[in-house]
Amino acid sequence: MRRLKRILRIAGNDIRIMVKDKVFFFWTLAFPILFILLFGYLYKGGETAPPSAELTVLNQDEGRWGAYFLEKIKSPGIVLKTAGTEPAEYNRLIILPPDFSEKIEARKDQALALKKREDASAAAAARVEIRLYQAIARLLSELVLYGDGDLTKFLDGHAEFRDLVTVKTRYPAKTITVVPGGMDHAIPGITVQFIMMMVLIYGGVTVMEDRKKGVLSRLLFSPLSPGALYQAKLLARWLMGMLQALMLFVVGKIFFRLNLGDVPLSLLVIAVFALATAALSVFIGSLMGKEDMIIGLSILMANVFAGLGGCWWPIEVVPPAVRTMGMISPAYWAMDALHKLRFFQGDFAAVAPNLGVLLALAVVLSILAGRFFKIRD
Amino acid sequence: MRRLLLILKNDILRHLKAPVAILLYLIIPIAMTGLIGMIFTPSSKDNTLPPIQVVLVDKDKGLASRLFLGAFDADQMKKMFQVTVADEAEGRRRMEKGKASAMVVIPARFTLDVLEIKPVVLEVVKNPAEQFLPDVVEEFMNTMAVMLSGAIQAFEPEARGIRLMLDGPIDAFPWESLGPEFGKAQKKVVAAEKYLNPLLIRLQEEKTKAVGAKAFMTRSDIFSAVLPGMAVMFLLFIVQTVMRDIISEREDGKLRRMLTTPLRPGELIGARIAGGWLMGFAILLVMAVFGTLVFKAYWGSPGYFLLLAAVTAFWTASFFALMNAFLKNRNQAGAISAPVILAFSVFGGSMLSTEAMPKAFQAIGLATPNRWFIDGAALVREGRFPAAALLVLAASGLILLFLAVPLLRRRSTV
Repeated sequence: MRRLKRILRIAGNDIRIMVKDKVFFFWTLAFPILFILLFGYLYKGGETAPPSAELTVLNQDEGRWGAYFLEKIKSPGIVLKTAGTEPAEYNRLIILPPDFSEKIEARKDQALALKKREDASAAAAARVEIRLYQAIARLLSELVLYGDGDLTKFLDGHAEFRDLVTVKTRYPAKTITVVPGGMDHAIPGITVQFIMMMVLIYGGVTVMEDRKKGVLSRLLFSPLSPGALYQAKLLARWLMGMLQALMLFVVGKIFFRLNLGDVPLSLLVIAVFALATAALSVFIGSLMGKEDMIIGLSILMANVFAGLGGCWWPIEVVPPAVRTMGMISPAYWAMDALHKLRFFQGDFAAVAPNLGVLLALAVVLSILAGRFFKIRD
Repeated sequence: MRRLLLILKNDILRHLKAPVAILLYLIIPIAMTGLIGMIFTPSSKDNTLPPIQVVLVDKDKGLASRLFLGAFDADQMKKMFQVTVADEAEGRRRMEKGKASAMVVIPARFTLDVLEIKPVVLEVVKNPAEQFLPDVVEEFMNTMAVMLSGAIQAFEPEARGIRLMLDGPIDAFPWESLGPEFGKAQKKVVAAEKYLNPLLIRLQEEKTKAVGAKAFMTRSDIFSAVLPGMAVMFLLFIVQTVMRDIISEREDGKLRRMLTTPLRPGELIGARIAGGWLMGFAILLVMAVFGTLVFKAYWGSPGYFLLLAAVTAFWTASFFALMNAFLKNRNQAGAISAPVILAFSVFGGSMLSTEAMPKAFQAIGLATPNRWFIDGAALVREGRFPAAALLVLAASGLILLFLAVPLLRRRSTV
């Protein structure tokens, strides 16, 4: 019991020193929030993709089919802008040539030029393109159905095209009902990344400095054993990670309506992940003797693990081989578990494999960190 | 001048003797560029995404659903989609494991409803953990729905005939009447061919750059686009490490001891700043050479790029000289410089493309060296002279230098 109290006192003191440091708030709160805003903005997802995608139309057609085709393109998500000549500025431009109708009526195939500005929104471009393909499919279907005779009279009247097949979308049962926002994806990812970054840098550097400055050896004048000292340092770094996660989740809840799914289970995932990271920070701090090296290695590991683990971009856009490679990153297991909890309303059984992997990693790293923990150089 | 060069040479040799930290900072941008390149470089010219994993749930198991499933066997479709036929429970499991972006459910009675020309609803169940690919599947299915609607209407009489066939006992069916029906269907297929083979209307896409629009890299140039941002970010880290000597020598008394020799404070300060500049320039060159050899990155005119690299390294050295003139000790330098560098990198476009950022963030980015270096490097790649970037970096670098030197001189002599 006394040993536990001593460990708690040392860990509490480490946390107190850390919280007093103004830079701590930059790393734990200000900087991650900046990232959350940026990535949340970048990956806003369905709810905030441009509400309407613009398409400029240069209709040079001398017949009636051009206007008929444009009617088919119209949809609430598409804003059609007509131009008399090819404009200098546009996001997407479709050109209906002067002989558009003539070629259709002569049943001659033709390619319509669709010009896309490279730096315009890719999401809006995709929406326009799909709409164009749908309009072409609809027009061709009508021609197949009713285009037997003279096509010059086709537009004078024909039966209405019926949408006999329609598509309904939904999410799987017992998951979510509302489209997740960009922040729902960004906050867990940034939290996981910054726990790694902050705990590895701050935790590693302070372990190294305490050793170099003789703080660790002086602490041994107290009734504390080297093992207990190691446990106290590990506990302090774990608490750093937990404190940071709690702060970001609370900010996310208040300002960005963050929904984590099962909150206790999400915190359990973060707790085990933070333990693995804390052990790694003590290990790095024990091995290395220079601040720059610790910072460099920490930045390298945190960024590579975050990238591979799906903290920065949706993991679905990652090639399968890189996704498999991502499994070496603890962030991958944490992010996967958080996704299961948030998006699939998963329970303990759903995240048990992830917790198992993270716990095994935490145990291995803790053993390594304990083995290499040094009181003095 | 001779003394300045001697100090400079000594400093560089000292840093090269313990290069682990510098090497680490060199490895990071290269590793990050490699990672981003691996993820975002398309596997082929036409396809920018990995094949989308789709689970097809066939609750109908009839003729129409089989034809529908067969459509996914076409070569073009195989490039876009990787289809697995399974039940709904398995589909959900796959989604949870991240092995399916969406599940397409063909309803029971699909074949019968199609044959009876009744409205049919196909369900697309989207993976809630994914942001983009499920929408692609949804839009694709919408296009398929239009085509299916057309096909059903085109073959309406034939469909009704087949439906009748399914109702009655097989021996009572008038098989002899099938011949003319198939004949009609064949005529329709032949008639449809003139619209569908080749397609009467198709799109011919062309990528353009709007007048006055900023240069934008194609995907194949992804390494060339990413590496400058990463390089300038870690240039800042490396130069600040080198320039921190100014503080550490003051802190541990080396500076006072050095000033007992005939060295003048100006020579020492000049050597430190020149050291940071040279080291920064060398780092950028190493990264550029490495990027060219390993990633086949393209930099444009070597002369323009060297000039841009030299001016950026000069700005960086001047900036950290000024920063170190204000800071009291190494701890303070360590605590402040990393957040400043990361803030520069976030706003300046080293971590995210500036075009993807909100306008306010883009404006802040103009105050960072990252933004000017990245924009300048993009212009050099296009074969243009980065005049604005050079002017801004050189002018602001000189201002920083003129502010830093007197401050450092005063602090050296105190």
